[in-house]
Amino acid sequence: MITVSRRIFIAMAVLATAVTLPSAIAQAPKGKLVLYTSQPERDATQTASAFKQAYPGVEVEVFRSGTTEVMAKLAAEFSAGQPKADVLLIADAASMESLKKDDRLLAYPEAKVTGFEPGTYDPEKTYFGSKLITTGIAVNSGAKTRPKSWADLAKAENRGQIAMPSPLYSGAAAIMLGTMTARNDLGWGFFEKLKAADAVAVRGNGAVLTAVASGEKPYGVLVDFMAFNAKAKGSPIEFIFPAEGVPAVTEPVAMLKTAQNAAAARAFVDFILSDEGQKLALSMGYIPAKAGVGSPSWLPAGTKINLMPTDIAKVVQTNSANLKRFADLFGN
Amino acid sequence: MTHAAGWRERVGDTSLLWGLVGVVAILSVLPLARLLLEGIAPNGFFSSAALTRVLASPTTWIATRHSLVTAFGGTIVAVAIGAVVAALVALTDIRGRKPFVFCFVLPLMIAPQVVALAWLQLFGPSSTLLKMIGLAPAMGSPNPLYSAQGIIALLGIQYAPLVFLTLRAGLRTLPRELVEAGLAAGATPFTVVRTIVLPLMTPPLVAGIALCFVSCLGNFGIPAFLGIPGNYLVLPTLIYQRLAGLGPSVLSEVAVLSVLIGVIAVVGILLQDSMLKRRDFRLMSASDFMRPFELARWRLPVEIALWTLTIAVLVLPLCALLLTSLVSTIGVPLTVATATLANYDYVLFEHAAAKRAFVNSFGLSATAAVVILLIAVPLAYFLAWRRSPLLRALNLTAEMPYALPGVVLAIAAILVFLKPLPLLGISLYNTIWIILFCYIARFLVLGLRPVLSGYYQLDRTLEEAAQITGARLLRRLRTIIFPLVAPMATAGALLIFLTAFNELTVSALLWSSGAETLGVVVFSFQQGGDSTYAAALATLTVAVTIALMVATMFTTGKLAQGILPWRG
Repeated sequence: MITVSRRIFIAMAVLATAVTLPSAIAQAPKGKLVLYTSQPERDATQTASAFKQAYPGVEVEVFRSGTTEVMAKLAAEFSAGQPKADVLLIADAASMESLKKDDRLLAYPEAKVTGFEPGTYDPEKTYFGSKLITTGIAVNSGAKTRPKSWADLAKAENRGQIAMPSPLYSGAAAIMLGTMTARNDLGWGFFEKLKAADAVAVRGNGAVLTAVASGEKPYGVLVDFMAFNAKAKGSPIEFIFPAEGVPAVTEPVAMLKTAQNAAAARAFVDFILSDEGQKLALSMGYIPAKAGVGSPSWLPAGTKINLMPTDIAKVVQTNSANLKRFADLFGN
Repeated sequence: MTHAAGWRERVGDTSLLWGLVGVVAILSVLPLARLLLEGIAPNGFFSSAALTRVLASPTTWIATRHSLVTAFGGTIVAVAIGAVVAALVALTDIRGRKPFVFCFVLPLMIAPQVVALAWLQLFGPSSTLLKMIGLAPAMGSPNPLYSAQGIIALLGIQYAPLVFLTLRAGLRTLPRELVEAGLAAGATPFTVVRTIVLPLMTPPLVAGIALCFVSCLGNFGIPAFLGIPGNYLVLPTLIYQRLAGLGPSVLSEVAVLSVLIGVIAVVGILLQDSMLKRRDFRLMSASDFMRPFELARWRLPVEIALWTLTIAVLVLPLCALLLTSLVSTIGVPLTVATATLANYDYVLFEHAAAKRAFVNSFGLSATAAVVILLIAVPLAYFLAWRRSPLLRALNLTAEMPYALPGVVLAIAAILVFLKPLPLLGISLYNTIWIILFCYIARFLVLGLRPVLSGYYQLDRTLEEAAQITGARLLRRLRTIIFPLVAPMATAGALLIFLTAFNELTVSALLWSSGAETLGVVVFSFQQGGDSTYAAALATLTVAVTIALMVATMFTTGKLAQGILPWRG
């Protein structure tokens, strides 16, 4: 009697679960998802664990390095015939464009892009900007002056005091180089002045942050969120939006055609573009790409950032020549 | 009947021997030959394009010059420190020799990248330690270690124990009669050292210098941490940057660079050989240990000087590293209120790659140690007891992947394993297996040498008795020989484990997501600007290393003497 009733109870429970569970969860993505990203370690860890909370069936494996090195790693895997990455979250659209040109990206026409400005994602839906990351001037609080513009920064009085991220490592820096050298007010002359002021090109933005926060180099060219996050943690660092404007990248997310776990990769893109994913970016100090999600605490609502326009197609074209010229100039 | 058994025995022996020849060939000859081939025939076609491009590039020669400058400079510093300390420790009556040797040899067992990271925390405006005591230099002043001099100083400190160890081993064989004859004839101790000890010590000194030069030349961790930020590239860091930044499209070019650094290393080794061949340094054996020189009233000052040196090169940087691992973010002054364990929490529990790296590094090191012993015990059997030209060549071949700089082996392994393996159709590149392959190839000799010295000390009669009663070779190896050489083998395994555990040079070029080693994660943290995480993880690896070394100090008797460099 007891056994029968228990069996009936189990059967009913199973039935009830089957009825109440939405079908979406029944086909929830699972398995391993390999993410290649240029996000700082801490942010990459947080992104992966927040995604895992939203999709508990998926284990995320993260490979993190500068955008240039992520691209080199991908190139290595393509030539070995075994690309491991499923999904990319790297600094800039130009790198995505070059992958798209090589037919490496998988389009995702069903991606939910409502609320995103058309300029933030690829019209063919192969990659989608996830946030706005600007590059400005970071200053150690103890530094003597506060440069108001890029031109101020490159002045001779700051000789030997400036650090900048190398475009040979950082995607954001490569876009900065492409954007600034194409402008009349800055151009290559700006970088030549930086060189004349003995500025050093360290590897990535993280290294610039260390140099500025520690006072080794009181002035730095740095992405916004890193400066503000460090400041919030107590680092002696200030961030300045220079008068000429700031170059920006969109940190796009994209799936690879060779993704082994396409379902999980799609889920990852969904997650990054979802309100939840955008709020996560916000909580990590980024400006989310989706309008209406909010703006980070360091950016008072309604503040207008003076963005430098970037011609992505042109950057893709000129990038390798730019990098070579930069390498020759700074000896990287 | 006996005839047939003998025949079968010989077939068994021969197939084991040829199996071992095959293993060594795959570990050593195959990758190095493939690398040489890439130098002259990139992608399988004879072409000098890559060769000319690399040799015509000024960057190549700048990096070569930097490599030579830092390798010679580092060697000079290491010899100056190592030789003086060896003489004082081996020839005089200073007290507390055991703990001193342990501390002095310690930097050799700590990963170069950790040494570099620790020293970086000691200098510059960002130094947590200097800030605490109010001595931090002014803002904007560069960290003096980001320079050629910085690299030379740290290479010297890292490898001074190498010179110390080879020289001390030599000094232990110093014939007491000669020294006493000199003293009896009225020579001062200084004259005795100059005219008797030093000439006799030429072979270990030259060997130590060569070893030190090749180690400095191949070192990656120190120039990576100190040279890359200041843009002072040496050949290993140039190879790393090219490959990491540009991918396998530049494989042919980095192959040429690897051959270049390999050639420099070989020239160094050959120079050593030719210097030692010109003279006869044989000593009369079987003499007593020399009575130590009495330092008398100089004893205490010398002891103080030695310990001050140890504190300066070991304790201070490690303290600076520890302090940096306790601040929440760079630039924040460390006080009781700001001290935090958050960095440890992050690397131990949150950061997936760091957690994986612990598992990977432990697994790789332990597996490499076990596999190497399985190769080394039978291989050493043949090398020690069946001499032939083939076996001599085999011994030399096994040494090569260790003697040559680590980048050479890593690039060679990429060339071999990038394309899918024949028959299996899978590529080992971008998997953990390529790192394991390199560890086994590179550290084979670290297991082989101690096991070999174990065989030379063995009395062969037991094994011969077993042979007469009909035990086959494999059985004799298992039941007679392995137990007899076990102390040596265990010591060798420990040495392999610790070396692999702290390794970066090979894995920096070969790692992939999921196959991170501890060295790689520390390096990535530092490169990404997360110095506090790097410091926390580095502190943990130092703790594991020192704990293992200290543990061996308390197992006296079970482990063979004279294998573990930090023990007496």
